[in-house]
Amino acid sequence: MELPGVLKQRRNQYALACLFLVVLLILWKPSVLIYGVQRAGLYAAIAIPMALVLGVVGILNIAHGDFMMIGAYLAYWGNVLYGVDPLVAMIPVFVVMFVVGAVTYKTTIKKVLDAPEFSQLLLTFGLAMILEQLANLLWTSQPRKLHVDYASTSATIGPYSFGVFEFANAAIALLILITLVLFLSRTRTGQAALAVGQNPRGARLVGIDVERSYLLLFSLSIAIVSAIGGLFLVRHSIFPLVGGSYTMRSFALIAMAGIGNLPGILYCSLALGVAESLIISFKGYGGWADIVFFAFILLVILIRSYRERLT
Amino acid sequence: MKLKYSTRVLTLILSMLMVAGCATTPAKPTEAPTATPTEAAPIKVGLIAALGDVSGINGQNGALLAEKEINAAGGVLGRPLKVIVVDDEMTPEKGAAAVDKLATVDNVDAFVINSFSGVHMAQIPALKKYGKVTIVTGAASHLCEEAIGEDADWYFHLHSWDYMQGEGQKAAWQAFAEKYPDIMFKSVFMAYEEGAFGTASYQFSQKLFEDIATLSGESFKSAAMGGGDYSAVLEHAKAENPDCFTWVGYAADALPILEQAKSINFAPKFFVGAPPGWPPDFGESPLAEGVIAYEVWADALTEVSDISKSFYDGYVEMFGSGPDNYLAPLVYSAIHILVEGMERAGTIETEALIAALEQTEYKAPTMEVITFSPSKIISHQAPLTPMLTQYQGGKLEVIYPWDRATSELIYPFPAWEGR
Repeated sequence: MELPGVLKQRRNQYALACLFLVVLLILWKPSVLIYGVQRAGLYAAIAIPMALVLGVVGILNIAHGDFMMIGAYLAYWGNVLYGVDPLVAMIPVFVVMFVVGAVTYKTTIKKVLDAPEFSQLLLTFGLAMILEQLANLLWTSQPRKLHVDYASTSATIGPYSFGVFEFANAAIALLILITLVLFLSRTRTGQAALAVGQNPRGARLVGIDVERSYLLLFSLSIAIVSAIGGLFLVRHSIFPLVGGSYTMRSFALIAMAGIGNLPGILYCSLALGVAESLIISFKGYGGWADIVFFAFILLVILIRSYRERLT
Repeated sequence: MKLKYSTRVLTLILSMLMVAGCATTPAKPTEAPTATPTEAAPIKVGLIAALGDVSGINGQNGALLAEKEINAAGGVLGRPLKVIVVDDEMTPEKGAAAVDKLATVDNVDAFVINSFSGVHMAQIPALKKYGKVTIVTGAASHLCEEAIGEDADWYFHLHSWDYMQGEGQKAAWQAFAEKYPDIMFKSVFMAYEEGAFGTASYQFSQKLFEDIATLSGESFKSAAMGGGDYSAVLEHAKAENPDCFTWVGYAADALPILEQAKSINFAPKFFVGAPPGWPPDFGESPLAEGVIAYEVWADALTEVSDISKSFYDGYVEMFGSGPDNYLAPLVYSAIHILVEGMERAGTIETEALIAALEQTEYKAPTMEVITFSPSKIISHQAPLTPMLTQYQGGKLEVIYPWDRATSELIYPFPAWEGR
């Protein structure tokens, strides 16, 4: 039996398989889908800015999650001292941290752009240490958490009650992705940055200011991930080491999606978020979530590598 | 030779610093001052704590308050008391090096150790080497007790061992069952963090609760370890509909776990938390209302005890706000116990001091009368009774033991609506 024409394309086959899975989960365990999407939203929102800087500037920023931590603390103090809502605080945090990102780039990152990758890693690792210890000195290791009424807003469908705030993670991840894709494809500055990411030497030859593109994208990445700190603060406790694990997850997601593939991060986050939620929905299997996360990534990378070798 | 600009600037700054340093070096006194009791060589106590963590900061503050009070009252044995604090940086090797440094460089007369279990394990060989009187206010793991062994008569443990905490909690709930037989829980669901702390707590609880209630549980990844999503474990707990839900994790889990419980409308009759410390402003959240906590210290004790009030007022006067957790009064007590022992012994000689400390009957700010008796292995263990406390109206009230109670139990745990 021959497949209908529309199903001959591999992309459509994947879409159909996903649709089947979604329907299956809705009927069997709707909570898996709900919590999976919520988890995925946070993962993607944090990973996308890292992918931007890794894809274009070529720097793996080990301090990525720590910048989110700093942003979360700024939003926290904005609320405690001036009563600013953490979601509103995302805007001033974005502006302030854009400047911090620019200064960080000028004083440190720029110096190692042509250095071996190991030196770049060491530099950003050092930055991470500095940010963590600075936060520890300034605000101690005591976890801090804001209480905002909307953090525990819930909805009830049939027998299920679930939190709805965390869908904001997915919405913001989507917003960041669309904005960045439009910026990179529709604006001259964005197109220039994309060209720099693909071929810096060629971009320089045709008159693009490579240095300016690097500065802009690095600062933008820091500003976005720091602003996400305000969103993170609504549902999580913050402390100096809170960002570290998100750096690792973000990098793993980028490796899975492929460097430079921003939309791919959203799909991979969804796949991983739902897979994790599915595992932990069985009582006693909570400890398997991390194993599933990294095993899934390993599997995808191996399959991709195998397929590339075949072609 | 032409120096680089940066090298020249650096040389100039160094030269200026050297000149400034020489200019401010005080002249040596030509005549030794006459010694008075307070100017005599101090008795030195070495405190090791994790100063990067709020527990260590609180411990340090407690020690400094005790030092201030003791010196204001004339010191110890006619000599001033000096507390030398060393940060263990929460790493075993630094913790062990701190013992060596205090013993050999500072030549302290006794130790007070406020380190975590993992760090303390590494300190034990060094402590055994020096054999100085040591009061330990941290380290709850029974593995530390096994490592110390039964021969260390210089070792005084003020903090409860992990198995004692479970026994204390069981005793508290049994007392509750006698007083409130109609409202006592029959089933418990324990959500515990997946690390050694949570797992050990669950294992001990399985034995302890077997004749009180049915216990089931599940692990979760604490926010402190990179987790923070409790949705699955809360869903499982809700499905079992237990009378009592207990979570064992860290301060970072405290509010998020409540928010997520509210999100799924999970409100069991008892909502109990057992972290080592709570976030400083936890009580200010309306979600905290009705949460039960195991505690050794609560600010509310100042309402029923003059000793607690005196400690609290002194602490606020010195540091601007009250203690964040029980380690402040515990280390404060350790320093006072040590000094009272020295006064009783009339010397700081080890054997006499051990004998004097064995006579300790110290009324602590925690309202405990601290004495030392043998535990499973060591010979000097203080029995600390865990209090059952409950957040009520933004404040942590004591509901058990009855003689320290500052309020009655709110039962059942209030519904989420309107919070």
